[in-house]
Amino acid sequence: MSTTEVAAKTGAVDVQNVVKVYQRDSQQIKVLDGLNLEVPQGEFMALMGPSGSGKTTLLNLIAGIDRATSGKVWVAGTDLTPLSEGELAKWRSRNVGFIFQFYNLIPVLNAVENVELPLLLSHLSKKERRERALTALRIVGLADRSKHYPRQLSGGQEQRVAIARAIVTDPAVLVADEPTGDLDSKSAEEILDLMQTFNKEFGKTIVMVTHDPRAASRAHVQRHLEKGVLTA
Amino acid sequence: MKFAPLVLKHLRKNWIRTLSTVLAMSVCIFLVCVLQTVIAAVNFGLNAGSTKRLVTRDFVSLANNLPINYKQKIAAMSGVTDTTIVSWFGGIYRDPKNFFANLAVEPEAFLRIYPEIMLPPDQKAAWLSDVRGAIIGRKLAERFGWKVGDEIQLESFIPPYRVGKPFDFVVDGIYDTDEARYPGTDLSSMYFNFKYLYEATGQRVGIGTLTVQIDDPSHAGAISKEIDQAFENSDNLTKTETEQAFRAGFVALAGNLALLLNVIGMAVAFTILLVTANTMSIAVRERQQEIAVLKTLGFSSGLVMMLILSEALLLGLMGGLLGILIARGIISVLVNVPFLGDVLRAFPNLGLSPSIATLGIGIALALGLLAGFIPALTAYRARITEALRQV
Repeated sequence: MSTTEVAAKTGAVDVQNVVKVYQRDSQQIKVLDGLNLEVPQGEFMALMGPSGSGKTTLLNLIAGIDRATSGKVWVAGTDLTPLSEGELAKWRSRNVGFIFQFYNLIPVLNAVENVELPLLLSHLSKKERRERALTALRIVGLADRSKHYPRQLSGGQEQRVAIARAIVTDPAVLVADEPTGDLDSKSAEEILDLMQTFNKEFGKTIVMVTHDPRAASRAHVQRHLEKGVLTA
Repeated sequence: MKFAPLVLKHLRKNWIRTLSTVLAMSVCIFLVCVLQTVIAAVNFGLNAGSTKRLVTRDFVSLANNLPINYKQKIAAMSGVTDTTIVSWFGGIYRDPKNFFANLAVEPEAFLRIYPEIMLPPDQKAAWLSDVRGAIIGRKLAERFGWKVGDEIQLESFIPPYRVGKPFDFVVDGIYDTDEARYPGTDLSSMYFNFKYLYEATGQRVGIGTLTVQIDDPSHAGAISKEIDQAFENSDNLTKTETEQAFRAGFVALAGNLALLLNVIGMAVAFTILLVTANTMSIAVRERQQEIAVLKTLGFSSGLVMMLILSEALLLGLMGGLLGILIARGIISVLVNVPFLGDVLRAFPNLGLSPSIATLGIGIALALGLLAGFIPALTAYRARITEALRQV
């Protein structure tokens, strides 16, 4: 095992010399250009930068929902590069929680069912799944809304349900793509409070993409991306 | 099973779309089941024919009678063990819509040659001694509420049998059969003494058909040929064939109709396939984002594909079950439909069999699976990042 690999296993996220190229028709677009990033365990990092700078692409690579063209991505002690699609899916279900800008709750499921969704992939019994989902909802302050459908919730409440869904499997890493981008300032503050709580009290490593300087100010570290390269 | 609520909730969310798809599917399965039931009933009737019985009739048309003396000549031929006249009387009971088959036969020989026609001994004795007597099948008796001793009148629509007044008959017996030994036996017909018809028409009528019992089924071809050759220089040429072949020819028109309806059924099934596939495609397209979310949460592509296919299969299953229920109901009332019912009543055993119901469910599931396959494959192939970008 090389020294970099040992280091990767100790940090929560280690992106090593990653290049990501998209093919658009005959054109090749290089979104990330030899990027290196290390996020230590328990860090709350904000990724900032202009549109098209590669923030979301980097987040997708860390979350294991996209693959690097070259380079290595280590997350929670696993090198994601050689994993098959199936292995990657299994890895995601156990190691990473994803928070979307537009919440992305399943409209036909109520709050507790939405939170329970990732647990369907576990070996837990129905009762255990439901208990864990309710606990997650309690943590985000929505125990009394467990039977409400997404359409019956406010934007802030929807995002809190989405956060409960992201943490219900107790993943090591949370990735958030503009989690406050669709919320009013009060709801945004509540969401950021929650994320900070998860970071401080539960030791979750958080990587958050944001345009909002106020949101970024909640993070321990702010990194800036420009044209696929970290500038600060 | 733990994913079942997710599948069911999606179907329930767009319940109008689900309902219309299920109804479309059920119409298709209903058609297939009814059609297959009619075809099965026809085939069942064909197979009921004995291999030891030949049927001799006029070469040109069933409407022409054969001379009475043909019976003696045929009965004397080698390999022939028994004969009976079986002439279609075409009698109408009060109204043409009360159609049922009624045939003039020679009672003693008829009961010998057709052991599937089973009568209690006292009723058999009564019929053999009563020239105006008739025996009726159990189903016919049930249909009109007739019982032994009842008197009925029939008037034939066939000119030689019209004698200016109806024929009077007495129900001497109600026959049944042993379904296990003689499946497909018609219990909806009436048989009466040919002698009564012969005398009442002034001994002017001939033989409608002659049933010839032979000693060995393997001699059927040779004996048929011998019979027809014996009359090839006479005014009335004959056509002799096995009872099964005779029945097959009799229902050839029904067979062609079945083929036509089968083609129509297939066209309907194909149309339903396209409709369902389109519905499923729309349903999956609307859920691109959701599919991406599921995959992000760790659902494998195979699992997502299975969920979509389960939805399609469930649609198929519901459509199939509803279609079978409708078919069962319709088949039971079809026999009461004017004209069509008269035709269908000629086929005993008309009912939705478990094998046809299974076939219906099988087709429904196959339609569901086929309809859901492309949308499921689309979901399988959907890339998370691209689907999320479509938000």
